[in-house]
Amino acid sequence: MFARLPSPREHALRKQVEPWLINSAVIVIVALLLLPIALTLSTSFKREQDVLRRPPVLLPCDDPQGHFRLSACRFVVEGYERVIAPRPDPNALLGVRLTGRMFSTYLPNTVLYALLSSGLVFVLAGFAGYAFSRYRFRGRRALMVAILAITGIPLLTNLLALYQMAVDLRKSGLPGYDERMFIIAVYVGFYLPISVWIVKGFFDTIPRELEEAALIDGCTPIGVLWRIVVPLAMPGLLAAFLLCFVNVWNEFIAGYLLITKRDLRTAMFGMYDFLSQNIINYQVIAAACVLIAAPVVILFLFTRQTFFQAMTEGAVKG
Amino acid sequence: MATQAQITSTPTRTANRRIRQGGFFNQTLPFWLLLPTLLILAAIQFYPGFYSIWLSFQERQGAVWNFVGLRNFERIFGSAAFRESVGHTVVFLVGYVAVTLTAALVIALLLNRRLKLSGVYITLIFIPWVIADVIVGLVFGLLVVPDYGLLSPILSNPTLFPPKGISIPSDPAPRPWIAGLPFPPAPAMYYLILATAWRALPFVTLLVLAALKTVPQEIVESARIDGANGWQTLRFITLPLILPTLVVALFNLTLGGMNGIGLVFTLTRGGPGTATEVLSFLLYTIGFGRLEFGRAAALSVFIAVINLALIVLTLRVSRTEERVA
Repeated sequence: MFARLPSPREHALRKQVEPWLINSAVIVIVALLLLPIALTLSTSFKREQDVLRRPPVLLPCDDPQGHFRLSACRFVVEGYERVIAPRPDPNALLGVRLTGRMFSTYLPNTVLYALLSSGLVFVLAGFAGYAFSRYRFRGRRALMVAILAITGIPLLTNLLALYQMAVDLRKSGLPGYDERMFIIAVYVGFYLPISVWIVKGFFDTIPRELEEAALIDGCTPIGVLWRIVVPLAMPGLLAAFLLCFVNVWNEFIAGYLLITKRDLRTAMFGMYDFLSQNIINYQVIAAACVLIAAPVVILFLFTRQTFFQAMTEGAVKG
Repeated sequence: MATQAQITSTPTRTANRRIRQGGFFNQTLPFWLLLPTLLILAAIQFYPGFYSIWLSFQERQGAVWNFVGLRNFERIFGSAAFRESVGHTVVFLVGYVAVTLTAALVIALLLNRRLKLSGVYITLIFIPWVIADVIVGLVFGLLVVPDYGLLSPILSNPTLFPPKGISIPSDPAPRPWIAGLPFPPAPAMYYLILATAWRALPFVTLLVLAALKTVPQEIVESARIDGANGWQTLRFITLPLILPTLVVALFNLTLGGMNGIGLVFTLTRGGPGTATEVLSFLLYTIGFGRLEFGRAAALSVFIAVINLALIVLTLRVSRTEERVA
């Protein structure tokens, strides 16, 4: 009836050893994958003379005799200081003004664009997702497939046209036009389709009966949306918000090409700009990498469940 | 339809009547809900799409655009830079997709063994995915700076890389190529593939892991009982069952690889020479480096056609029709 089964002792041994083997394999893989991050962290805390040593050292922890000693470690925050460039200023908040361009200009811009575009995506994806989930109207299927298809379209092939549009808009002298509006519209246009799908998936899981009961009790359709559906679909809406936030935070090429005023450029432009300025100051580049990547990594660590849910929900899966 | 109306419960009918009686605004509510989304998509996705097509038939002379027919396409397809770039892109995509899919499959299979710390591992593995491609390019670039980069002692070791070690930023690709493809590629190409795969790995791992979780354990167990060993179970049970996901991941990776540009920008800038000049970077060079918009638009139409084909294939494989219902 059965093929050869392992003897009870063999079986018990396997059961004991196997988890250890797999765990160690996974730990080795995880360590290897995180190695570039660890090495960047180490570089970012080095002194300039330790960065420029040949051969390079992993940790600046050797004493003059060349032995590794923890007490000999020379970690400094010089790299970070040069990115942030704090200057005492009695008028500023906390008495310190951050004069590094990254923190005085680029990062605030990125935060502004990321917050505004994900806020808009949150609202618009909520509206559209609700309409797709709850109403049956002509052209619904075609529209949904079209939006799913757009999800796959990358920024790259539209860049030239968007660039030309930005030039035309600037020239047109539209009253109240601001480069920031255009870049935010571009971000919303590109991250909205996937969000509509994520949010629609969440709306689909909310039972209709709840809404019907509220309608019968005299609630208006908008009231139902606001009081019943939105609170229940909050995880999906937040997922769309977070995904868009991280995407805009990390976006480079559109911000680089579509924004012409230096004061309106983004943190990713600032990172790229470092390449031309700090040819030798590797610890400064590393520190900037850590500073700009850290916020989204931390955001992800706190909201990972929402992320994973959104990605399996929104991903085009088999 | 008639039967459906009969089945519909009384509360629903009341609710529907309420919506119907709710005046023009409530009756056309879905339209108003969709309108802002449709307007934004029309302005940012459809209009630029058609604008690109229009641009690809134009050439700028001074301040005016002149219709030049297919000349932009002829010039771009006829250029040596384009043909070389297609070769680089093919080598890059094949390497990148193969490395990412294989690694993701191995990691997902290990994680699927119900380890106690699975959640922690997945979270840690996922960190690279939230790091911007520009930053990934910088991070990997710093590691291989000649003499000072932390990996440079390994790379310049003549025993590991005879005869005199390699330098990723400056060693060109050996010539001649094999069969018109830039193979073997420059060390920089291997490194670009590695860095790109590093960033794409988490997402694909998650995708494959989610698919593995849907493989019914009973089937795997009954195969085991019938005497199949681990490899046979994987080859004949698990892989066929998750094949659609693998195919979707393959298309996804190809699409992302075709159109990614941030990493190339900060890691190699297409170099050394043109050894890593993939199509996306060539598009940037022609359009914004040399400001030849018409030719760049022709190239972006070419890339967009491939993108659309990949998207249609993805939709087919993932059976979107069923999900839209």
